[in-house]
This record gives sequence, structure tokens and C-alpha cells, in this order.
Amino acid sequence: MVVVKIKPLSEILKNLRGFKKIAIFGCELGSARCKNGGLKEALQLKNSLEKEGFEVISVKSPGGTCILEKVSKPLLEIEKGCEVVISLACGAGTQVIAENTNLPVITGVSTLFIGAEKEGKYFDEYCIACGDCIISDTGGICPVARCPKSLVNGPCGGAINGKCEVDSSIPCIWYKIAERLEGLQKLEVLRERAPFKDYRLAVYPRKLEVEETT
Amino acid sequence: MNFSEKLKNGKFIITAEIAPPRGTDWKSVIKGIEPLKGKVDAFNITDNQRSMVRMSSLVMAKFLLDYGFDPILQLTCRDRNRIALQSDLLGAAALGVKNICLMTGDFTSLGDEPKAKPVFDVDSVQLIEIAKILESGKLLNGKEVKGKLEFTVGAVYNPFAGPKVLQEIKLKKKIDAGASFIQTQPIYDVKVAEEVNDLVEEFGAVPIIGLLPIKSLKMANFMKSLNPSSVPDKLIEGLEKAMDPAQYGWDYIIDIAHAVLEFGRGIHFMLVGKTQELANFIDYLRNDSPYNHRF
Ligand code: SF4
Ligand code: SF4
Repeated sequence: MVVVKIKPLSEILKNLRGFKKIAIFGCELGSARCKNGGLKEALQLKNSLEKEGFEVISVKSPGGTCILEKVSKPLLEIEKGCEVVISLACGAGTQVIAENTNLPVITGVSTLFIGAEKEGKYFDEYCIACGDCIISDTGGICPVARCPKSLVNGPCGGAINGKCEVDSSIPCIWYKIAERLEGLQKLEVLRERAPFKDYRLAVYPRKLEVEETT
Repeated sequence: MNFSEKLKNGKFIITAEIAPPRGTDWKSVIKGIEPLKGKVDAFNITDNQRSMVRMSSLVMAKFLLDYGFDPILQLTCRDRNRIALQSDLLGAAALGVKNICLMTGDFTSLGDEPKAKPVFDVDSVQLIEIAKILESGKLLNGKEVKGKLEFTVGAVYNPFAGPKVLQEIKLKKKIDAGASFIQTQPIYDVKVAEEVNDLVEEFGAVPIIGLLPIKSLKMANFMKSLNPSSVPDKLIEGLEKAMDPAQYGWDYIIDIAHAVLEFGRGIHFMLVGKTQELANFIDYLRNDSPYNHRF
């Protein structure tokens, strides 16, 4: 899932200068899951803004703000009587809103990464969408995203006691890869030299075209 | 015999490490190593070591050549993509810099430009492959290289890093890719030095054991904080008791150096503070030690 972080109220207020009537959009798919921009947080933001003297005319949180069908109707509903939209959806969802309304749109979140959820509380980056997935060779664990150096041939010399050289509060992911591959008795896959990565596949903006099937 | 000839002929090798200046005053670096001329076989020139900005290692390597020293150019994957790495390797070859030591590099955030964008387009194994591809007369993209290149390629190994099994697999990949010598992180234990020596030899490269004299208890504790298993308790205890910790630290690694001489192929001094002492020690090894025939 895409992980977002809600911006401080002060920053949101700065962007709201000159406006009074507001619609708030959350996203029940991504932002809600990481508790930084679903319906609950949208309602909290509504309260805070009302205390600041704003008029919140609508709060919505569709399940999937980056899907046009999900937002087109709610967008039509707010078109009248509203001066600005605050989106708590990820960068993609917010842009879908912006491309489909004449109202100004400001974001209430920063989009962080593609991550995984632990205990509903922690979110860790798992994938940088490198476009050329290699995790079949690394025990299903990604060294491209989870090693700060994106090393593909094994750990660096800074991997001490299971901790990463870059930040000792995070594990060196190669320990997890080794553990997993040893368990699967598949360690030999790492004896092959890894091919040079094709970073063209990570050059943005990227596009996927779904082929028609008959 | 120069460094690469000694490597090929099985002679005992002594290398030392220097950093380019934090500025343009390369002359003082050259002056500092003058007493080691003709004694240390080659000098590693670090590449913005610990992600701290320094003068280009390639430029410093050229100064060493001009002043009659044999440089080992260190090159890391941190600051250059495959275009810049190949470009620097071509430049090194053209300048006559023959020895290279290729490594991943410390991460940007650990140095004095922590906001820099790290590169890591390729890793150390792949950088060794690149050097070998250039030697074969081609660029990585298959285009022909005009002119001949020949490198003596080395790499690094940290026996205290983990996971052990993957570190060893990676070491082997480096050697299979074309590293002919391996310089290690500092070792303070003869047994570890011997194990590493055997491992590297078994994989088919020349081991050069890294030695870094510890100057104070503070430095020892710092090293221990980075890498607990690398600093033995007896070294800490010795430093605590010593009247002159710097001398103790020096004597300690000289003892290890003597031991390595018995079973090993080379020593890499990672700090040239005691230049004159180092020169004297090498004189002793060459002339009066029972192993002098190996030099
Ligand atoms: S290899 Fe690339 S695509 Fe696969 S998980 Fe890692 S970053 Fe994502
Ligand atoms: S310690 Fe491990 S995770 Fe950290 S940079 Fe080195 S290889 Fe990558």
C-alpha cells in the first residue's frame, strides 16, 4: 500500500489563506489504513478547521481516491458552494481529484512510500517500484528497497551484528535474506552474480497499458 | 619489483593508506610519505572516505605516480553511476594508474554532506566486472574501447561483517569477477588474520591483512562501538594499563604484522601516522628478519 503522512495543521492553514468554504477528501484504501488520511482523520481535520473559523461543507472518503469512478460523483456534489478541496489521499489520488475539478486542490498529506503494515502501527518501506523485480532470487525479500545502497550481490562491509551501517535502528536486510534462503535451502541462488539493473525501468513517469483480451 | 609484479611473483606486500587533502595542498601529503619511498609497495588513495569531501582520488593518484610512488586508486559506487565509473577508469588507465581497489563505499548520510543524493547504480562486484570488461577492449555497452587498458584489480573484505555466509559468497564473487588482491578491514587478532588469509587464498586471490594502529582507549572504544567483535578485550585491557597507549597500540599491531609475515602474503597499514617507525619496521623486515627472503 501507499503510505502517507498527514501534514501539520499549521502548513495546511498556510495553504488555506484566502479561502473559507472547504471540502475534505480522505482515502479509505491507503490513507485510512495508515491512519493518516481516512474518514476519521478527515473528520478530525474538519473539527480543527472549524475551530479556526472555516466552514467545512463536505467530508468524504471514498475507497480508492485514485480511481476516477470513485471520486467523480462526490466531486460533482461539492462543485457548488465550495471554494477549495483538501485531499488526504496519496499523491496519485490528489492529482486525480485535481484533474477532475475546477476547484483549487491542496494536499493535507505527504506521500511517503510503498510499504507494509506491522501491528497496525508501523509501516516499513518494502518496494521502490524499480520496474524490474528481482525478489524471486532473494527469498521474496527486496534488497533494492530495503538496503539503502540497493545492493544486489550481497551485504556491504558495514553490516555488523544484523544492523545496517546507515541506521543502526534498522536491520541489515541481507540477514533476513540469508535466514530465509537458508531455511528454504536455496542459498545457492546467491552464488550467481546478479545482473546489472536496468534503471530505464525506473525512469519516471512510467506507464502501463493493459492489453485488450477477447 | 613494483606492486603488481610482487603480487604475481608471490612476494610479501606492504601497502599503506593515505587520504587526499581536504583542499588543494597535495604537496604536504607527498611530503608526509617521503620516508616510505621504496619501502611501502603501494599506497591506497581513499575515495572520499567515510563520505567526507576530499580532493579527487584519481588526481591524487597521478601526483603519487609523478613523485615515484605506486598508487592504488580506490573507487566507490557511492558517487558515480556506470557512466562516470567507466569514464574515471579510462582516465586512470590513460594516466598510467594501474592498480585499483573497488568497493561499495560508505553511505552518504554518514559523512559531511549528508543531504547528498547517493548513487549506487552498480555494486562492488559489478564494478569489478566493469573493470574487466574495459580490459577486454569494450565498454559495458559493448562499444569498442580505443587503446589498451590493464589493471591490477583489488577489492575489500570485512571479516567482522555479516551475515558470514553471504559475506563469504560476496567475497568469492569479487574474486571470481577478477579481484586479484583483497585488502581487509583492520584485524587485531592473529587467529582471525590467519583464517581470513586462508579463506582469500582458497578463493584464489592474494590476501593483504589490514592493520590500523590504535592510538588511545577512546579510539579503541569508538572502533568497538562500530564493530564490537573486531576489538579484542585484551587490546582494551592493554591500553588501559599502558603508560603510553599510542606506543602500546603500535607495538600491538607490529606483533600481528610479525605473525602475518609467517603465514601471510601482505600487510595493509591503514594509517600512516608513525611514518618513521613504519619505515624502520619495513627496513627490519627487509634486512634483519628471518623472512627477509620473501620481500
Ligand atoms: S525488486 Fe524492485 S519491484 Fe521488486 S520489490 Fe524490490 S523495488 Fe519493488
Ligand atoms: S548494512 Fe546491509 S542494509 Fe545496510 S547498506 Fe549495508 S548491505 Fe545494505
